[in-house]
Amino acid sequence: MKKTLAILALLMCTLLLAAGCGGSQEQAAVEKEKVFVFGDTTFNPENGEGDLDPHKDNGGWACIRYGVGETLFHYSDKMEVEPWLATKFENIDPLTWKITLREGVQFSNGKALDGAAVKACLEHLVAVHKRAAGDLKLASIEGEGQELTIKTRQPVPTLPNYLSDPYGCIVDVSAGNAGGITVGTGPYKAVEAVPGSHVELVKNANYWGEVPKLDRIRVRTITDGDTLTMALQSGEIDAAYGLPYSSYPLFDNEGYVRSSTPTSRAFYITMNYESELVRDPAVRKAVAMGIDKEGFVKTLLQGNGYAAAGVFPDTFSFGNKSVHTEGYDPEGAKQVLEAAGWKDTDGDGIREKEGKKLTLRWLSYPSRQELPLLAESAQATLKAIGFEVQADVTADHNTKKKNPEGWDVYVSAMVTAPTGDPAYFFTYHCLDASDDNVGRYHSDRLEALARQMEGCFDLAERGRLATEMQQVILDDHAFVFCSHLRMSMIAKATVKGLTAHPCDFYEITAALDKD
Amino acid sequence: MKRYILLRFMQLIPILFGITFVSFLLMYAAGSDAVIQKYSLTGQSVSQAVIEAERRELGLDRPMLLQYAAWLQGVLQGDMGRSFVTGADVFGTFLDKLPATLLLTLLSVLLTLAVSLPLGVLAALRQGSRGDFFIRLLSFFGSSMPNFFVALLLMYFLAIRAGLLPVISGGSTLSAAVLPTLTLAIAMSSRYTRQIRALVLEELSQGYVAGARARGVPFRQVLARSIMRAALPTLLTLLALSVGSLLGGTAIVESIFMWDGVGKMAVDAINARDYPVIEAYVLWMGIIYVAVNLVTDIACKFLDPRLGAPGTEGSR
Repeated sequence: MKKTLAILALLMCTLLLAAGCGGSQEQAAVEKEKVFVFGDTTFNPENGEGDLDPHKDNGGWACIRYGVGETLFHYSDKMEVEPWLATKFENIDPLTWKITLREGVQFSNGKALDGAAVKACLEHLVAVHKRAAGDLKLASIEGEGQELTIKTRQPVPTLPNYLSDPYGCIVDVSAGNAGGITVGTGPYKAVEAVPGSHVELVKNANYWGEVPKLDRIRVRTITDGDTLTMALQSGEIDAAYGLPYSSYPLFDNEGYVRSSTPTSRAFYITMNYESELVRDPAVRKAVAMGIDKEGFVKTLLQGNGYAAAGVFPDTFSFGNKSVHTEGYDPEGAKQVLEAAGWKDTDGDGIREKEGKKLTLRWLSYPSRQELPLLAESAQATLKAIGFEVQADVTADHNTKKKNPEGWDVYVSAMVTAPTGDPAYFFTYHCLDASDDNVGRYHSDRLEALARQMEGCFDLAERGRLATEMQQVILDDHAFVFCSHLRMSMIAKATVKGLTAHPCDFYEITAALDKD
Repeated sequence: MKRYILLRFMQLIPILFGITFVSFLLMYAAGSDAVIQKYSLTGQSVSQAVIEAERRELGLDRPMLLQYAAWLQGVLQGDMGRSFVTGADVFGTFLDKLPATLLLTLLSVLLTLAVSLPLGVLAALRQGSRGDFFIRLLSFFGSSMPNFFVALLLMYFLAIRAGLLPVISGGSTLSAAVLPTLTLAIAMSSRYTRQIRALVLEELSQGYVAGARARGVPFRQVLARSIMRAALPTLLTLLALSVGSLLGGTAIVESIFMWDGVGKMAVDAINARDYPVIEAYVLWMGIIYVAVNLVTDIACKFLDPRLGAPGTEGSR
């Protein structure tokens, strides 16, 4: 027995020693440099991030997040467009834009950023990236010195917004993309990129702005939430993005700092206007009054969200505060249903009208951790006012939502303003011509306002139109916005300059440092 | 024997055809596809025209049977296609991931045998003793705990509390393999210890053991040359099943430890509806199970001639 145990102990020690030696060698090699290790859930091909090339799928997200690429304009904390690689833009006529590029900017390979380089980059972008080509509608680009003249095929009032999308990272296309490594103008340059595993970055000695403070950054893709949590606890990573909500309390102490901000990712209900039940305005209004948004955010999301009123979060000038809608009011909802003839005649707690039960078929999906929780919350609060909620939370929601006879409400999570402009949400989800108007909603007023917005170049006026358009869909109770995502990054207390941004695009910047 | 081996491999053809077709059918029935899944995961809304164009590029706009036929045609010509997600050659991707899975399989099987063989034999020889009770108790706990739970416990105690090992692996290295190997070996050793104990107990009750001991043959010799040899075919069959399963990758363990093997690859491919990669994985699993079982049958025959030649009446 003793001999057996001794052999087993020896075997274990050998394995542990082998492991220990590997670790210490690695550590010794990196000790000389100031190295920052970032744990992230997103850099993998399943998210469309197969490498750092902004011209491929969602590669631009990795490119901009990890400080490799920069765009001509970027979004402020209020999601307003500000100059970045460009210093100003001028709208010569509805189809022509003149953009002045910043002087003294170089790509990480030392090549100067000028009109010709930007022209080559944008022409390559629209040739290979379908979404970008559809957004930008470029007719021609001329680049001379630091001046860039862009002509579009039709008026694109939000061109600077689209150029701030991650796909708009300006990269040196002549340098190619060997090994998935793209040459950008950011504070760090990639030296290795293995999707699903890691990105290795080093300081860009040619950076035009504030001198980057770290010698090397290692971004580790860790898709499992528990592993990410433990890696931060063990100190193997300096900061983490994408931690599960349940892990946050572990880091509520002086050893860590948390940076959070509301984003435009909204969790919302879309009413199906082809459902006889939902066509009843009283039912839609009662649903809007029967969702306990504050309770959902506070209890089920443990404070990791913001109760929503409209399409956009408070950080936008046309955000939640600019619109009004029903709050959680179960007694009011009961009265609305009573007045419309929905009564519980058989005493089973579910209301009926003309022999039909008030049964709401709730279609949603599980890939966002918040959506199943929202379904559970709604089942409880809507039941209290006389609804029976049949939740179908399925990965096959994309097929099911195409059949309007199979559901009453569709509950999803979407980024409502990825480019900071309000038109995006309405264009894709609310209009007759929308590709994803799954509820078949129609409003003459909304159509008219959308036409106005289409040709409107004035940002203040676009904001006013956005507020009015939101109010139209809220008054119709065509959509119920439940919450906005609170995006958080948690870092060791020794980390400085890691700040969550409402659009989720800027993570590693020149300001990032650690003691 | 050659005819038998050839016949077994011939049987692979309908098996592979059947499992790849059924898995294709199931993926199709599950709804969604690589393009829709990509935009759904990132929460982006894009125009239907963009979605349709991307689907057309991948051939997803064609009927299911045509998609399967095109894939099958490619495979028969030695081309497993390109990943819908990365655009990389599927066969090349698969070969890249395989060494990590092979390493994990080898280490976990070796550790399992190193632990379970002595403990199982010891428990059988000391049947009813406190040692036997203790070993059975340990194996009961070990086999009751799911892999992901063991993985988290090991991470917590060995990486966070003791600081002996890293939580995240820096690649498919020996040091990175320690935690996933221990995780797999704990469950497997627990199961095997009980099975080895039962096998040895069964052999100990046989008449030939009593006879050998009565003739004065040293017990160590009986144990090594007779009892263990008699138990080996059954043990080998059990091991074959485990190896087959391990070579298919252990999705949960690989995902938790970010171990870049074929199991993690398969899970990622399923989430992304990456049909060519999923089909390659299904093919691999089919081949592995048939091959491992065939090798085991042949090995058993050599270990125990009473079983007869494979393909004959006496064979297993």
